[in-house]
Amino acid sequence: MSDSLSPSLEKALARLNKRFGARLLEQTVLYGDVTCVVAPEDWMRVLSFCKSAPQLAFDQLDSLFGDHLPERPEAPFEVVTHLVSHKHGHRMRVKTSLAEGGSLPTVTGLWPSAGFDERETWEMFGIVFEGHPDLRRLLTTEDFEGFPLRKDFPLQGTIGGRIRTDLRGKV
Amino acid sequence: MATAHDTHDAASGPGGVPVHMIAHPTPEELRARKAAGRIRLERNAELMSLSMGPQHPSMHGVYRAELELDGEVIVSARPEIGNLHRGVEKLCEHRTYHQIIPLTDRLDYISSFAMNHGFCEAAEKLMGVEVPARGRYIRTLAHELCRLSNHILWLGTSIMDLGTQTFFTICFRDREYVLDLFEMLTGARLTHSFGRIGGVAKDLPDGFDHRCRKVIDFLPKRLAEYERIIKQNRIFIKRAKNIGIFTSDDCYAWRVTGPTLRAAGVARDLRKDEPYAAYPEVEFDVAVEYNADVYDRFLVRMREMRESCKIIRQCLDNLPDGPFLAPDAGHSLALKKNVLHDSAAMIQNFYQVFQGPQVPKGEVYRCIEVPKGEMGVYIRSEGGAKPARVRFTTPSFYHGQAVPALVEGEMVADMIAIFASVDVVLGDCDK
Repeated sequence: MSDSLSPSLEKALARLNKRFGARLLEQTVLYGDVTCVVAPEDWMRVLSFCKSAPQLAFDQLDSLFGDHLPERPEAPFEVVTHLVSHKHGHRMRVKTSLAEGGSLPTVTGLWPSAGFDERETWEMFGIVFEGHPDLRRLLTTEDFEGFPLRKDFPLQGTIGGRIRTDLRGKV
Repeated sequence: MATAHDTHDAASGPGGVPVHMIAHPTPEELRARKAAGRIRLERNAELMSLSMGPQHPSMHGVYRAELELDGEVIVSARPEIGNLHRGVEKLCEHRTYHQIIPLTDRLDYISSFAMNHGFCEAAEKLMGVEVPARGRYIRTLAHELCRLSNHILWLGTSIMDLGTQTFFTICFRDREYVLDLFEMLTGARLTHSFGRIGGVAKDLPDGFDHRCRKVIDFLPKRLAEYERIIKQNRIFIKRAKNIGIFTSDDCYAWRVTGPTLRAAGVARDLRKDEPYAAYPEVEFDVAVEYNADVYDRFLVRMREMRESCKIIRQCLDNLPDGPFLAPDAGHSLALKKNVLHDSAAMIQNFYQVFQGPQVPKGEVYRCIEVPKGEMGVYIRSEGGAKPARVRFTTPSFYHGQAVPALVEGEMVADMIAIFASVDVVLGDCDK
């Protein structure tokens, strides 16, 4: 639980800082986890660098998911990824903030495992991933309305969750 | 020839040849084998689409795959999940940390304690709670019992998918011994909610040590028996060897972890690589095999079960004295037996149940090795007793997603073997 980083991760961060410098909006170490915050327009560039640069070599995308922070009206959405490097054995978190209706380029080209993750993020938060090969609802039904993991979506009730009988036989 | 008794000896491989003398296949060789096993097809052939699942008995739950078939060969597969979606992550945002633990049980209902354990590790990291030594050992013990019950169930069902009914009942009978231990330990057979923030719910009951030792003495003999039935079985070898090859690069790309990754020659096990609980204090080997096929995934799980028995025995031998739940009044529940006798415990219990633990602002991600693979838990807290966002990165979610990459170009009958070999449980997959 110490905030000291492994030597390989120190090297990786130095390389990342050298390449992107001030374009990394924020860099924190909390509970031993490194977090880098980037702007949405740098999303693809930073993540593909994370995968390809030999000092970073993040060959596995551990998870990608959304988050909703309604107390930040200018950028209420967050997309969070956790990257793993099998070569160096280190981890890193990369985040970006999005405005309502914002979109990100898909990273399925870098890590195919992002496919389900991005579909889930889209259906739960309404964040569009441009270029995703198959952006359909994943866990909810095709005719489900609303984005259930947004904070303004109620826990109970029928809003957005009703079954649309008019679509029977069509989907 | 190796007999069934010496096959688990780490120093020698098939035919008594020492392990270091066996040349392991390189990734290129594996890729060539994979390509040779797959059937090249004319894309213009007339395709039949077949919906496999959600009620197909080999789908281990309500998984559905839309297959495009040319004769018996799978041209493309499209996984459809979500039939078991219960919105666990949304529910978590409306419950205190203590109340989330029973929800995590229902994620992977085959190995409930492993799920409790993952969530508790993440929550403890966030709260800065130190688990006492006895608690860590009991957790390790329960986690390994979980792994045993999960792998025995996996073995029974996956071999049943390949056509043996009796073997399934044999496995279920033996799994019942492990579940009996769980019943003794936690009071429940399947969804035990045994983890607590700061330790575990109960101490080991009287007589548990004796019964547990009986089971872990008995199980390796049964494992040898299973291997006698399965390992040299010509039908199993024909259906498992060189089928469903998934190299380490494929595993990284699709986030396939756990036994499937270790069967591809990667010695990655978070119990060793990012140790937690009492794993740094017990001795065990990481089971690794190199051919990346269905057969090697079977071998990896068989060896893992033996290692689990070894870990459980060490936990019982070295079980330290002391509290099994952290005496941390701010974050853990009070001991149930003290609540009606001790005013401090009563206040702590009241405070924890009605208000919940007061957690600092922050975010954590903790990944642990559960029986099916690597499970990550992300918690973001804005202070207070309820998390602002919880995300369970469950292994089956990704294993279910990787199915097209695993089965395209294989036969339909092989898909059943392959799907069983990656071990998907839909409660874990659909969250």
